[in-house]
Amino acid sequence: MSFIPFAHALASRQDLPIPAWLFAWAASIVLIASFFALSAAWREPKLEDEHRRPLGERLSGVLLGLPLQILCGAVGVFLLGVAIYAGLDGTEAPDRNFALTFLFVTCWLGFPFFSAVLGDLFRPFNPWRAVGRAVGAGFSAIARQRPAYLPYPERLGRWPAAIGLLGVVWLEVIYGAGGIGIEPHATAVAALVYSAYTLAMMAAFGVEVWCERGETFSVYFGMFGHLGIFGSREGRLVRRRPLSATTSWATIPGSAAVVIASIATTSFDGGQEGAFKDTLESLVEWLADAGLGPTASLRWGETLLMLACFAGVALVYLLGIRGMRTVPGAPPLAKLRVGFAHTLVPIALAYLVAHYFSFFVFQEQAQFGFLLSDPLGTGTTDLFGTASWEVDYSILSANTIWYVQVAALVIGHVVGLMLAHDRALVFWPDYRKATASQYWMLAVMVAFTCFGLYLLSVSNG
Amino acid sequence: MLPFAHVAHYLWTLYVIPILIVAVAIVRSMVAQRRAPEDGEEP
Repeated sequence: MSFIPFAHALASRQDLPIPAWLFAWAASIVLIASFFALSAAWREPKLEDEHRRPLGERLSGVLLGLPLQILCGAVGVFLLGVAIYAGLDGTEAPDRNFALTFLFVTCWLGFPFFSAVLGDLFRPFNPWRAVGRAVGAGFSAIARQRPAYLPYPERLGRWPAAIGLLGVVWLEVIYGAGGIGIEPHATAVAALVYSAYTLAMMAAFGVEVWCERGETFSVYFGMFGHLGIFGSREGRLVRRRPLSATTSWATIPGSAAVVIASIATTSFDGGQEGAFKDTLESLVEWLADAGLGPTASLRWGETLLMLACFAGVALVYLLGIRGMRTVPGAPPLAKLRVGFAHTLVPIALAYLVAHYFSFFVFQEQAQFGFLLSDPLGTGTTDLFGTASWEVDYSILSANTIWYVQVAALVIGHVVGLMLAHDRALVFWPDYRKATASQYWMLAVMVAFTCFGLYLLSVSNG
Repeated sequence: MLPFAHVAHYLWTLYVIPILIVAVAIVRSMVAQRRAPEDGEEP
């Protein structure tokens, strides 16, 4: 059977009316205009309070009730099981095996996209949380006491999740480098290892504590979920002001590292076959000359480049923070660093949409078509009669993709500016000083926008 | 055409210009603020 690689970005040449770089200039002008509009019209913090409105008691009872939680958890465990089974026993053709598309596209991209609108959708379906809670409940019933957990080290914060995020992207993009990409079998083994690690950590520190701080997928998807309009509070489902929940997201140490890792890994993946291609080739050549084998030099070269992206994104953010510190009345640097980390969350989402939305649209046709009917990709099953469906790549033109990418980046950065301006009004109640502090955030946003558009223009062009 | 053969390599400079404009504007505004401190504020 012939198959195509599990590529991340499906690039095609555009036919734009103006050069791509002019879009970066236009986007910068939009940001500058937004900045001055915010300065003139937004003089008090509006997003610090979530303005929660409880939804109907019956609706909350159904959606947050135990039966539905058990059902959602069981669905999560079942689908993870199917993915692992498909990875272990199915075809090695990456585009024909359920495991890769389900884990790296449907979940990895789908949860951030939909959670950013509706709130954290992963939490009820989290298979490890479901297993951990079931085991905890079983233990309590048998031992007639609640499990005793170790205290979670406060300073560790969300760093395990940030490292896990880099690890997931490393596995997906770098481990399979040089060949056809990550293999389904390796993905299934990694999922099993991660499951064992997660359950052990939950047993040590408690299910909810680990999900809040250390479990990569909960933290990553939950970060985008804080942008959404629905949440839960004291057993009630609530509707909240859009974006407001994200203002309290970054108070746990290591949160900035999670969002920076998200932007950096997307940039790396977008640039490795475009803007960073020459740099990567030189690096790999240099490592090969130093005595590494072909696969090792490729993996090490890409790993170093990904870490360089992380350092670069962190540096731009820290420069912005450092600049804010020069404004009279500024709080300490550490407080600024934590206080503005949440402003990067919409940028992380914008990068994700810009780089992967077309891939998501194309690959979901496979997910709900032939992969659903023939999860192992062996060509012997047709569970829902859709095994012969193919992906229709003509539903999105290259120009449509480009305009969505530009719109995502501009909107994401304008929202980032809004969040930063709102937070600045908390730290500097005098709006003139708050505005002065935000010159620096404007520079950060313009830098991220132009960089994002450059990455996209090179990969697409 | 030879002098323009590698022009695509330097296309990134066009993306840096807006960032430089904003950065220069910030530095200029900072310098201006320091030279003329507001009334009631310590220099």
